[in-house]
Amino acid sequence: MFQTVMAELTIGFGKTIEIFVLTLLGALPLGLIISFGSMSKFKPLKAVVRFMIWVIRGTPLMLQLIVVYYGPGLIFGTNIWGIGNEGRFVAVLAAFIINYAFYFSEIYRGGIESIPKGQYEAGQVLGLTKRQIFFNVVLLQVIKRILPPMGNEIITLVKDTSLARVIAVYEVIWAGQNFIKSAGLIWPLFMTAVYYLAFTGLVQIVLGRIEKKLSYFN
Amino acid sequence: MSILEVKGFTKSFGDVKVLKGVDFSIEEGEVLAIIGPSGGGKTTLLRCINFLERADGGTLSINDKVIYDGSCPSISDAEIRENRLHLGMVFQQFNLFPQYTALENVTLAPKLSRKWPEDEILERAKDLLARVGLADKMNNYPCELSGGQQQRVAIARALAMQPDILCFDEPTSSLDPEITGEVLRVIKRLAEENTTMVVVTHEMGFAREVADKVIFIDGGVIAECGTPDEIFGNPKSERLRDFLGSIR
Repeated sequence: MFQTVMAELTIGFGKTIEIFVLTLLGALPLGLIISFGSMSKFKPLKAVVRFMIWVIRGTPLMLQLIVVYYGPGLIFGTNIWGIGNEGRFVAVLAAFIINYAFYFSEIYRGGIESIPKGQYEAGQVLGLTKRQIFFNVVLLQVIKRILPPMGNEIITLVKDTSLARVIAVYEVIWAGQNFIKSAGLIWPLFMTAVYYLAFTGLVQIVLGRIEKKLSYFN
Repeated sequence: MSILEVKGFTKSFGDVKVLKGVDFSIEEGEVLAIIGPSGGGKTTLLRCINFLERADGGTLSINDKVIYDGSCPSISDAEIRENRLHLGMVFQQFNLFPQYTALENVTLAPKLSRKWPEDEILERAKDLLARVGLADKMNNYPCELSGGQQQRVAIARALAMQPDILCFDEPTSSLDPEITGEVLRVIKRLAEENTTMVVVTHEMGFAREVADKVIFIDGGVIAECGTPDEIFGNPKSERLRDFLGSIR
């Protein structure tokens, strides 16, 4: 029985990791782009982005998942996500990426705004372009500064992946819960915690390594 | 022919007129010291010369060619970028890039500009760091250097883009008194090598010794200008006498 349970949980956790990795890959760069929008000197763009940040941060991710999955079908009469498990998975990714990108954007903004003006001015007087100043001077300093709050969000994401089951994406908690119905066992559900702890532990170690790597400057 | 000529510079921040029409010029190889009380406009003037602020009115010419005209401020970023390379700038707070070593700080801008071959950039950077007495520190990060050493790296970094004129904004004001000397010595040596420089400073002894010309800025105008001997030895205006008296 133990082996059956572990095999099933491992399949479920594979989906969890898939959601986690793909969400990060999408949300990390998208969040940076959104942060530029929220700092834009072009007022209408800034207003729209600030409004979106309010909406995304102000409503539950669970609700956003449902809206993203069912919304297009209800409004346009077509399911843009495709059919079956594949379609639901894509919808989950879309909702997660949007949600996390907006959260990340605020962290990026905080980091970017904390860089002293003198760094930009030093770049300017040396004839660097705005792009060069951002990528060659500012970005690494921003990454160093935002690592701790980013770490919080990234670890939250590991656990938020469990919300995917709301639109019937099979992940680890669902896998564990199945055994209550099918075999009257509660411990497989508890066992999922071990998976989460192992994975967040790993994430924490990786974040710690990066932080240490960037400790050579301040 | 003046290497740098500023005519009628004006600058306001909101309702506050910080510069009310400033004219001066310097010749190649000259050192100009700008002195005056805090809030008088000297740093603003230097920032306008370096395009960190845009003057509202007046012109700036390099070698008799007007490169900035406050009356038509629609100048493009690319144009500013090209023109500002005539000028180098050393800041009060050094503003070194913390994630790069001393050597990388000096080579970054020349490398990104792609104006010179890489090996030439590297050689020149090492040479510049040696000239400011930091040959043995070139692989250190800014956080491992003292304030005086950081400022000397900043000087080497500014020189790496081979500016015609090097500007200093109170280069020793954030240093401990006992290490201002090492930075001032470097600037003095540059003066002896005929580097054209504009130095905003509170170090009157240094200004008197090194400058060819001194301007005293107060209330957004040049209240007095002349040779160091004229300014320090025989101040004409009441305001300059008061200022010099107050800092002794």
